[in-house]
Amino acid sequence: MKKNTKGVDHRKIKNILDKNKAKIELSMKACAHCSMCAESCFLFQARNKDPRYMPSYKFLKTLGVIYKKKGKVDRVTLEEMKPILWKRCVLCTRCYCPMGIDIPYLIRTARSICRSQDVYYRYDEDA
Amino acid sequence: MDPLNLIYDLARGPLVWVAFAVFIVGSAAQLVRMWRLTSPPDETYVPRVKKADGKNKLPLSYRIRLSVAGSSPVTVAVTTLFHLCLVITPLFVLGHNILLDNAWRVSLCSFPERFSDVLTTVVIICAGYFLARRVFSERVRIISSFWDYLFLGLAAGPFITGYLAYHQICDYKLVITVHMLLGEAMLVAIPFTKFVHMLFFFVFRFAVASEYSLGNGKRRW
Ligand code: SF4
Ligand code: SF4
Repeated sequence: MKKNTKGVDHRKIKNILDKNKAKIELSMKACAHCSMCAESCFLFQARNKDPRYMPSYKFLKTLGVIYKKKGKVDRVTLEEMKPILWKRCVLCTRCYCPMGIDIPYLIRTARSICRSQDVYYRYDEDA
Repeated sequence: MDPLNLIYDLARGPLVWVAFAVFIVGSAAQLVRMWRLTSPPDETYVPRVKKADGKNKLPLSYRIRLSVAGSSPVTVAVTTLFHLCLVITPLFVLGHNILLDNAWRVSLCSFPERFSDVLTTVVIICAGYFLARRVFSERVRIISSFWDYLFLGLAAGPFITGYLAYHQICDYKLVITVHMLLGEAMLVAIPFTKFVHMLFFFVFRFAVASEYSLGNGKRRW
């Protein structure tokens, strides 16, 4: 597999963050880190209840990190997020948070950010 | 003047009103902000399942079984009890109503003191459950941060100090001063910190339509 060593265009990331700021900020704040959303993800159930498959883990360790760093993330970090966003989530939108957080939206936004930097899953190469 | 007396007077007087003002204005602003994040119902949307009786949702018993109440019944029970007691107890504690009566000549009815004591104990036990869950359960620990512990402490703090004050454990004046300061800090924190989930819950579980929504709201995220 070829390594992507390009730089990161922080302006593009910042643009996506700014466009979604209100919803991201509120959702990150409202997440009680309670893990109650776990069972609603079929992949969590299918992977022996591995906590790394919890919906909240997926958005906190991706968009949560990018948001906290105000978009100032490096390529290695984005590459590390790739399997979380594509391999551990199929964006089926079935997850449900008892607080009302729109989890698929947060995962989708993280994917958009990665994609804006040319980081995405190539099923023919990365499988 | 003794510094403790000074802080006591401040916490019992002006700080209470500042805390209430920040809480009310801040919460109203946050609620408006949340509402504006939602959109009006989509009239063109065709429900996936349209049953003969016109209802789109599964029967309540199914929804409960499929929801978090089915997957984590103990935590749901504890969290419901915790939040109910957290809101109700301070409203109906005799001491709070006496202060309200002294200030404004109005007050709510009060619970018997023994009952308030039981509710306070319930909050503390539930907070202990959350702490244990955060420390010992890997799935909670893996997404926990320092702030989660701090805010759990801040939520339980007024109740722990209230319990200590009622039972006259430790120096009463000190404990009651800390009790008031923690209560005020909590009020101020609700609209602006992690505690905002208390407001968030009502908007997004009742107003926004979803399979598991608790109300009949039809708005969209
Ligand atoms: S997304 Fe919802 S259910 Fe999941 S950890 Fe956050 S608050 Fe809890
Ligand atoms: S959208 Fe992703 S996290 Fe949510 S249930 Fe589907 S696979 Fe799981």
